[in-house]
Amino acid sequence: MKDIAADREDALAAWLRDRGRVAIGFSGGVDSAYLAVVARKTLGVENVLAIIGRSASYPAEQWATARSVADSFGVSVVELDTDELNDPRYAANPANRCYFCKTELWSRLVPLARERGFSTIVDGTNADDLGDYRPGAQAAKEHDVHSPLANLGFTKAEIRERSRLLGIPTWSQPSSPCLSSRLPYGTSVTPQRLGQVERAERALRALGIGGDLRVRYHDDLARVELSQRALAEWLSPERFAVLHNAVTAAGFARVALDLRGFRSGSLNVLHGVTAA
Amino acid sequence: MSIRRETTGGQPALEGALAERGLVVKVESRAGLAVLIADPATVTRLGDAELRRTALALAREHGFSHVAIELRSEGGRVPRADAPLSRD
Repeated sequence: MKDIAADREDALAAWLRDRGRVAIGFSGGVDSAYLAVVARKTLGVENVLAIIGRSASYPAEQWATARSVADSFGVSVVELDTDELNDPRYAANPANRCYFCKTELWSRLVPLARERGFSTIVDGTNADDLGDYRPGAQAAKEHDVHSPLANLGFTKAEIRERSRLLGIPTWSQPSSPCLSSRLPYGTSVTPQRLGQVERAERALRALGIGGDLRVRYHDDLARVELSQRALAEWLSPERFAVLHNAVTAAGFARVALDLRGFRSGSLNVLHGVTAA
Repeated sequence: MSIRRETTGGQPALEGALAERGLVVKVESRAGLAVLIADPATVTRLGDAELRRTALALAREHGFSHVAIELRSEGGRVPRADAPLSRD
């Protein structure tokens, strides 16, 4: 007997067939990678276009993953540059920062897709996302971008499981929101700060730290969030010193380990946007 | 941008509450974030998950949504990464 996620995948394939051709806002994250692969399998190479928006807030490692998945599964890719950091409304880093980022993304991506004959544009928003504070969803709505995974009820766990069964390497990849999510609201977003965070996270990965990991920017101080397992491993003075050196080399003067460990939307909680 | 630091009623009270549980730290308050500046022995103790939960609960009681620990040696600097391991 088929499970619920398999039924959802059948429904997704049927929805895609109804649409005929789709362009995907493609980050190479768990959700958009799954959507791109299912679309490619369902509609064929000529009817699917994955579009990557690149900017300083998009981690280089994420881009490499996106390209790798697309190459492995024969998905056509177009890359475009986005310039949200030059929008003062975005750079000021208000609580609805994501709205301005996605507005910039979709205002460039949608016309490009339509020029190439793709009238249906989709993104990888899933059903779990609907319960979080996601101002970027409004921008998607304003640009007539569809979210079939969310609409069909796919949870993140189901997407991971279906990805695993399809052999998509992102199935076990930690979630990877844009680098600006590491800066508290009200702290302006600059390429320098994003670079600092990206270097610090890369340095920690190089130490072998797996699972969910965030370096949160608090001016001179980096607050490092690790998975529970990694937190237990790194809470010793000797290992802490190693971690400290890696993060300070990225440009932070001080390093603190969050005692609760990783939590998605941590800075939303800090600013009272969502509940603790 | 200037560093955001503030001294709130929650900060000394949290230091006191943590000290009652044997966690002697200096608390620096940054809005909802409490940075616990601790010596190596306290960092080691916080490797215990139950003690971490206690510290988090106390911080919440004193108005902090986030708690992070910063390692400071007595000289005010973090020990070298290649320093000899403690034997105790």
